[in-house]
Amino acid sequence: MALADENRTRRVLGAIAGGVAGMAAMSIAFALLEVETRYEVGIFAGIARFVMVPGNLALGFLVFVLFGAIVWPLLFVFVEEHIPGGPDPGRRGLAFATVLWVLFMLTAAGNVTGATLLIYATLTLVGHLAYGFILGAVYGHVRPDFSLAEVRERRNPR
Amino acid sequence: MWLYLLGLLGAAFVLIAAGLALRGGGGSRIAADGGLLADRGSSYGKAFGLSRWLTTVDHKDIGLLYIALGVVAGLWGGVDAMMIRTELATPPTDVWDTRTYNELFTTHGITMLFLFVTPVFTGIANYFIPLLVDADDMAFPRINAIAFWLLPPSLVFIRAGLVTEVLAKVLEAFGVVVEALFALEPPGIGWTLYTPMSIEALNPQIDVFLLGLHLSGIATTIGAINIIVTIFTERGEEVGWENLDILSWALLTMSGLILFSFPVLGSVLVMLLMDRNFGTTFFLAEGGGALLYQHLFWFFGHPEVYVIVLPAFGLISFMLPRLVGRRLFGFKFLVYSTLAIGVLSFGVWAHHMFATGMDPRIRGSFMAVSIAIAVPSAVKVFNWIATLWYSRIRLSAPAIFLLGGIAVFIVGGVTGVFLASVPVDMVFHGTYYVVGHFHLILMGIIPFTMFAASYYWYPLLTGRMYDPRLARIQAVLTVVGGFVAFVPMLVVGADGLPRRYAQYPPEYALLNQVSTLGAYLIGAGVVLWVYNVFQSLRVGPEVEDADVWNLKETGQFSREWQWFERRLEQRRGEPSDDD
Ligand code: HEM
Ligand SMILES: [Cu+2]
Repeated sequence: MALADENRTRRVLGAIAGGVAGMAAMSIAFALLEVETRYEVGIFAGIARFVMVPGNLALGFLVFVLFGAIVWPLLFVFVEEHIPGGPDPGRRGLAFATVLWVLFMLTAAGNVTGATLLIYATLTLVGHLAYGFILGAVYGHVRPDFSLAEVRERRNPR
Repeated sequence: MWLYLLGLLGAAFVLIAAGLALRGGGGSRIAADGGLLADRGSSYGKAFGLSRWLTTVDHKDIGLLYIALGVVAGLWGGVDAMMIRTELATPPTDVWDTRTYNELFTTHGITMLFLFVTPVFTGIANYFIPLLVDADDMAFPRINAIAFWLLPPSLVFIRAGLVTEVLAKVLEAFGVVVEALFALEPPGIGWTLYTPMSIEALNPQIDVFLLGLHLSGIATTIGAINIIVTIFTERGEEVGWENLDILSWALLTMSGLILFSFPVLGSVLVMLLMDRNFGTTFFLAEGGGALLYQHLFWFFGHPEVYVIVLPAFGLISFMLPRLVGRRLFGFKFLVYSTLAIGVLSFGVWAHHMFATGMDPRIRGSFMAVSIAIAVPSAVKVFNWIATLWYSRIRLSAPAIFLLGGIAVFIVGGVTGVFLASVPVDMVFHGTYYVVGHFHLILMGIIPFTMFAASYYWYPLLTGRMYDPRLARIQAVLTVVGGFVAFVPMLVVGADGLPRRYAQYPPEYALLNQVSTLGAYLIGAGVVLWVYNVFQSLRVGPEVEDADVWNLKETGQFSREWQWFERRLEQRRGEPSDDD
């Protein structure tokens, strides 16, 4: 990450702001889903497995939030240039979150199988995509050296 | 913990009060004048930020609020639907137990009918009727705001079971256990709330739910009155009855149906609440009986299905000619058929009750009217097809949705005519055939036209263009998904598979899985739509020419686009615009 110094702080702060916003959206959505699906998909247990503290839901969730709000956003800032989908950080966020989701499915799915796995995978994918998009969008908004005008496409109607 | 929550609540109140004080402090008090705005034009001088949305009485803002609430509810009801289809991906009850399954289809139906479809169409009415009939605003702007703001609480009431449980779980995670919050469970009695089950069920959430439903009915009725009065009294000088546009006609008829049917629902709900809580016996054997309940419910229920489908018809008739560059064929007959459906829809309710053992003569007359109501619907289909004749069909995303919608409606409508025949209905009543019939219409035509409208007016609503390629992909995905999801239901239903069960015999597995696949395709389409809407808000190119759809060429550059053109000109003239 070759950054001019004045930009670095704002980029990092922007990413963290994006992470917090994305996590807020995702945790509310997950909490609702967990209840809506009558605990059958066990998102929070999965999360605890994901962050390597199986069984401890509260701690697991805390670690999850910290990762989503700080660790992943920082990683995002570092690897951003290499993520496909650019230059729009919003689209890069989608690609980034898809990778996170694959990791999530590999560790968190545990012994979820059959039809449950179908809805589990779908809903968590949508949650991650929302997270990634919000992360990237907020980051792009705060970042001083990026302007949306660069990525605005010329489109014809229809 | 509680102190913390109280503190938060207090802070919120202080903020709101401060906002209101700031707003009111401008010196210009608005006098109580029955809803007319005393001292300002329609859309200027609005407050900013959050308080703009909380205090707005501008029909366009309220329209957007309605649409936003409807979309949220629709996504929620959509998750319910995905869960239903997930359960049905395999024959046994292996994902959710039967009770949860019952709760799912109940909340799914209610959410979709009352909190998704009606608000979205009311929102479209709010945004576009004043533009189309050349009015400054709706007739009663503040009552309009009240009608909208009744909806969020009714959403919370109707879905309280889950909301309280999330709250309870969050509190529990911090070590606070509040038993009362766990007491409310989502109701599992079907969207028709048939007695005696709905009276006997102990779950206290049902009472909260009935109140929420009642509230949403009041909100809907108020909104309908506003629409009617606006169209009757607020039309501009150039807009007479003879050149009122087809969408306004549809929304006017919808509002008429609401005005005459929703009060009946309100009464039924109050009677049900009294039976549940105060020992009255309206719907018990000694009183009017379960049959009385069904008559009253369907006297509301059948007009309701036209309340939600007439605006969709209106949107097709409105957008289709503009998208294919040809004048609407048989405008007058489309208006007459709309009005005919409006009247006839009050005379067919008992076709939902053929299997109850009513007098065969009554069944016969209801069968006749039910078959008759197919005629105006067929007139519409004929006119749409005639409009397409010799037209220039360009497969834009909204056009794909409209064509797909017409195709799906033909299948859905024809299956309805079969059901209207008593002997056929005796066999199919209570099977998946009925579910297939109404979903081909409910899922097919209604969301399809909403998606089409969202693309058609996206430039007008946001000043930006959506991503047309992504939109076309979404359109194809959703239309295909609709067929894949609901046609198999006709097949399994005709084969005798009953509806509303969480499990089924293994020989139906394949068709049910096909159906589930279709549901997931639709879900994928919805995700693409959400992405397109938000991403295009960020990066979509700004619209410079108001004639996005080449409407001037065919003389169909209607009032809402003219308004948009004026606005674009204004904006170019004076860069500091209000919003
Ligand atoms: C061509 C016009 C139509 C005819 C003749 C017709 C006929 C019928 C009949 C006879 C039934 C009762 C089936 C049974 O329960 O055994 C039925 C059910 C239903 N129809 Fe239609 N229908 C028509 C159009 C529509 C439209 C436009 C909608 C919605 C927008 C709709 C929505 C429904 C719903 C929701 C049910 C099921 C209610 C329930 O039991 O939960 N129908 N229809
Ligand atoms: Cu009916």
